[in-house]
Amino acid sequence: MITVTINGREIRLEKPVTVLEAAEMNGIEIPHFCHHPLLEKWGGCRMCLVEVDKMPKLQTSCTLYVTDGMVVRTESEEIARARKGILEFLLINHPLDCPVCDKAGECSLQDLTVKYGAAAGRFEEGKRKHPESFDDPLIVRNMERCILCTRCVRMCDGVQGASAIAVTNRGSRSSVEPFSGGRYNCEYCGNCLTVCPVGAILSRLHVHSYRSWLVEKDVRTVCPYCGVGCSFVLQMRDNRIVRSLPRSDVGINRGILCAKGRFGYEFITSSERLRTPLIRVDGELKPATWDDAITLVANRLMEIRDKYGGGSIGGIASARCTNEENYVFQKFLRAGMRSNNIDSIARTGFAVAQRYIEDVLGQGSTANLISGIPRSEAVIVVGGDPTHINPVLGIHVREAFRRGATVLTVGYTPGLERFRTHGLSPYPFTEATLLGTILSEIVNQKGPHGEKVGGPQEIARFFEEFKAIPLSDMERVCGISCSALGNAIKDIISRSTISIIIGPEIIQSTHVRTNLFLLTAIAYMLGARIYLLSERPNEQGLIDMGCLPDTLPGGRPIDVESFRTRDEELWGCEIPSAAGLTLPEMVEAANSGDIKAMYIMGENPVYNLPDSAFVRASLEKLEFLVVQDIFMTETAEVADVVLPSLGWSEKDGSYTNLERRIQRLRKAVEVEGMEDWRILSEIGKKIGIRMPYNSPADILEEISRVSPLHAGLTYDDMERNTGLWPYKGEPLRQGPPRTPTLLPQGSLSICNAQTGRDKLYMAIERHMFLSGTMSRYSSALMSIYEGASVRINPDVARRLGQEGLVSSTETM
Amino acid sequence: MERYLLKDIENPRSTDIGEYKKIGGYKSLIRALEMSPNDLIDEVKKSGLRGRGGAGFPTGMKWAFASADPKFPKYLICNADEGEPGTFKDRPILEKRPHLLIEGMAISGYAIGAEYGYIYLRGEYPEARDILEGAISEAYRDGFLGDNILGKGIRFHLSVHRGAGAYICGEETALIESLEGKRGQPRIKPPFPVNVGAFGMPTVINNVETLANIPLIVEIGADAYSKIGSPECPGPKIYCVSGHVEKPGVYELPMGSTLREIIYDHSGGVRGGKELKAVIPGGISTPVLPPDRIDCPMDFVNMPRYGSMLGSGAVIVFDETVCLVKVCYRALKFFEHESCGKCTPCREGTGWLRSILGRIDEGSGRKEDIDLLLDVAGNISGKTLCPLGDGAASVVTNFIRHFRDEFEKHMGKTCV
Repeated sequence: MITVTINGREIRLEKPVTVLEAAEMNGIEIPHFCHHPLLEKWGGCRMCLVEVDKMPKLQTSCTLYVTDGMVVRTESEEIARARKGILEFLLINHPLDCPVCDKAGECSLQDLTVKYGAAAGRFEEGKRKHPESFDDPLIVRNMERCILCTRCVRMCDGVQGASAIAVTNRGSRSSVEPFSGGRYNCEYCGNCLTVCPVGAILSRLHVHSYRSWLVEKDVRTVCPYCGVGCSFVLQMRDNRIVRSLPRSDVGINRGILCAKGRFGYEFITSSERLRTPLIRVDGELKPATWDDAITLVANRLMEIRDKYGGGSIGGIASARCTNEENYVFQKFLRAGMRSNNIDSIARTGFAVAQRYIEDVLGQGSTANLISGIPRSEAVIVVGGDPTHINPVLGIHVREAFRRGATVLTVGYTPGLERFRTHGLSPYPFTEATLLGTILSEIVNQKGPHGEKVGGPQEIARFFEEFKAIPLSDMERVCGISCSALGNAIKDIISRSTISIIIGPEIIQSTHVRTNLFLLTAIAYMLGARIYLLSERPNEQGLIDMGCLPDTLPGGRPIDVESFRTRDEELWGCEIPSAAGLTLPEMVEAANSGDIKAMYIMGENPVYNLPDSAFVRASLEKLEFLVVQDIFMTETAEVADVVLPSLGWSEKDGSYTNLERRIQRLRKAVEVEGMEDWRILSEIGKKIGIRMPYNSPADILEEISRVSPLHAGLTYDDMERNTGLWPYKGEPLRQGPPRTPTLLPQGSLSICNAQTGRDKLYMAIERHMFLSGTMSRYSSALMSIYEGASVRINPDVARRLGQEGLVSSTETM
Repeated sequence: MERYLLKDIENPRSTDIGEYKKIGGYKSLIRALEMSPNDLIDEVKKSGLRGRGGAGFPTGMKWAFASADPKFPKYLICNADEGEPGTFKDRPILEKRPHLLIEGMAISGYAIGAEYGYIYLRGEYPEARDILEGAISEAYRDGFLGDNILGKGIRFHLSVHRGAGAYICGEETALIESLEGKRGQPRIKPPFPVNVGAFGMPTVINNVETLANIPLIVEIGADAYSKIGSPECPGPKIYCVSGHVEKPGVYELPMGSTLREIIYDHSGGVRGGKELKAVIPGGISTPVLPPDRIDCPMDFVNMPRYGSMLGSGAVIVFDETVCLVKVCYRALKFFEHESCGKCTPCREGTGWLRSILGRIDEGSGRKEDIDLLLDVAGNISGKTLCPLGDGAASVVTNFIRHFRDEFEKHMGKTCV
């Protein structure tokens, strides 16, 4: 216990913190510029000087740690003089252009000058000149206003890890510049904007139009882009989003955002938004009234259901819609269409991996807190670059590395290049071979312990006959040096808390089951926490809501009669007992004519599923296709009825992130139109489904009765951030355990096969700025997207050039 | 007095290892390796050697701190970034006696348990780089450096790192930043380099001259060493004299020689028999002294009593013809140029002081400017991250303290 006296007040502290932190914890304000809780201590601005007994000079409270018995004063004549002096110095080269500066009203320099500064300056000589830079499409730099606190540099370097900017020149001629010159070559996280205390770095999206006192309201909400679920505040004026602003005290992102979260919000105001329902007449989509559209959809769906049976109707839910909407959607199909053909894009990765791993290791085994990653001693990344797919989660991996964790990456992870201990890049299609060898080495070195209490017997049995490629053959088979791999494995085994981050690429490749099995077994052997990267904001939510062909809300298997009857009573209908079709099966069935009608909510399978032409052709064969979306997507183009819905920031509800945290999504913009849930309930009412909803709260109330996982959950719980798995409900699924089919026959041989040499394969790289749906409608994100490109080995390119296949190349 | 540090510098082949051995070179290293590291540290403590870079910190104590830190590896850095205006005392050692420095570093490295040493060399000393590197390779060849020094299984590697011309990199933590490949800016202390230094490891940073004293201490023993010069801070000291004297140059004298002795007995007095106007005794950052204070003994203990500091021992002499306002202006121009920009008062304050002095020098000064200068200097002093800003402020306050009338006379007109 440390006792320190600040301004005569005795303060007791458990562990040593800085004087500034101790003061702030106790409500004593010490003015400062360069200090920021997220950043490395700097001690440069000298604004936070305090008096400390037995110390001859004033001390910077941001760098001085408290010691027992320390006596500190934060206010005195000498301190006041010093502060006044520092402010006078800062204003020597700072333009007095507050009337035209966006930062005015929320500027530390302005605020502190008003509070502590002199009324007039004594500096008469000319100020430093530095033209404002508009070279970048998103970030404006005004280095005349810079007070060189270097928060932006420390953010870029020490937190984001992009290392894109630095202080150049010396003394008062110093300024912060991107290494790339005028235009930034960076990750565009914009976190430098958040930490700038003055108006030196500004977002171009609102520059010269922003006035902090004209913000009418702050709406706290969750980002619409990926499964991390960062929180931020939308600042509103005239029913328009002025900017998105993270808050360091709120949300799992602790004040950090990525390019999409920071700059991607204006897709919502795109001129390409759908505003009126469209009905196909004589082969062309024509505007229609809501009444006509809803009646048509209800009648046509009932007709098809009655004629061909519920199994002839399929639905695709949306990982961008809220929990409430996805719940209504599956209820619409199950209760209204009597169909279990419900699935989503999560089928292409997240849902498959989660099902597989949780069937082996138990429900909830992939529900781990993102904040645990930096505290891991080792992090294994497989199947994609987290800094691109889930950027803020990626920052946590970088932090883990900085804190001394071993980071092992398998595959192409450019964002972790400087943040990994071991980088393994196997030849294409040999990931399973590599993972097999890694597993076998771990088993050899640690010994199998599948007999561990409650341990899955399948894994133990598997080890007995498991023969991987020996380490010494890795060079030949996978192109990985055996000593590098050996060291990596040894290093990982020596660590205790381990996180495994699994990305979509390993799930979307060949040998999915083998890959998943091996990863599960590795995780099991290492006792590791598993994280599944999630490209969309509510993949977890739609799984929990039962948007799966074989699962009811709350993760309950549909083949268990008691579950079904319970929901049947609640919904007042009959639920078919057989599992429905999965997403790819539905597309096949549409093509073969087994499925006659589909309802697609907020999804674009023509664009997002492989083999676009086939998907489009299959959907065109349907008798009736309804697409509900906010844009005229490639899928909407082939629909019979297109229903415009409201997007993120225009509606209330909740999202569940990849760590299973249920968070509130709030309406910020008032627009005319109907939310997805409202459209569904309007149609549902015509069909005769019990959908007495007036607000998302009504739906949540029903969810909390239907899903045991969400029992008793309220928006207040989410507010308090207690909406975290296992929520308030029962953590475990009841009923007979699922037995996973571990390894399909013959797949073991894959571990021995050598494939993929001497051919060209195109691997898709996930982009940090774009995710392919809403981001395409964000002009800000499109302005920093450098366009599609193919990276190719120079020798191969030369060869292809000779064959006339490549016309020009550019060296990167 | 017998020269020790600058022994044999007239010998045109003094940088040759053979010549160095002829006058007893590397015998101290041999002797030192027979002692235990702790005994060596104790010997240096007992000798009373204080760092010659300017701050005068007891060398033995610094070594003991680093030695006591359990972290490993440890580093030894020789601060050869001799950038203080007026200072050229290390240069003859670097250019004429490289082996003395290497021997001193090998002994020091052994004492503190460092296996790697760096000589952070001022970028403007290109000759010294060549000479040092030549000498280092000779020392490797003869087994005084390397993995198995003199067959005793002791390891010490040494390399030269050239600075890029920033004065601030003479400040030890900025030097470390620069050595690590970062922007040369001072770090917050504590932690001190003895605990968290180069690459986060315990690091001793000693000045060239300090390290050059080590072989002598080992050779003659702490007792004999402590009898050289001032009893409170003994040893030989190199004074470098520039400005208006008959014989500017480097003089190795016992520590504690008075300014008067240095100027009049050794440097031949003020040039052309002119009157002495002012002396800066220890490099530009140390407070200027008027002629009536030149009887001060030049050591770490006595100089503060006379209102100045020993600093690097760089004596700059001004005769009656000099305009001290101009000198002060020129000094501030230097500080402004060299301010790294990390902390506010130094970054902005030095430039402001320079511009006020500039307008006084140009003849457009106003009477109030003196108070403004003192006030701005006061706002810098004691509030900066490192001593650079303090130095700049102290130049202004001390020039005004001793020569206020000259500033007043300068107001509104150019100097005559």
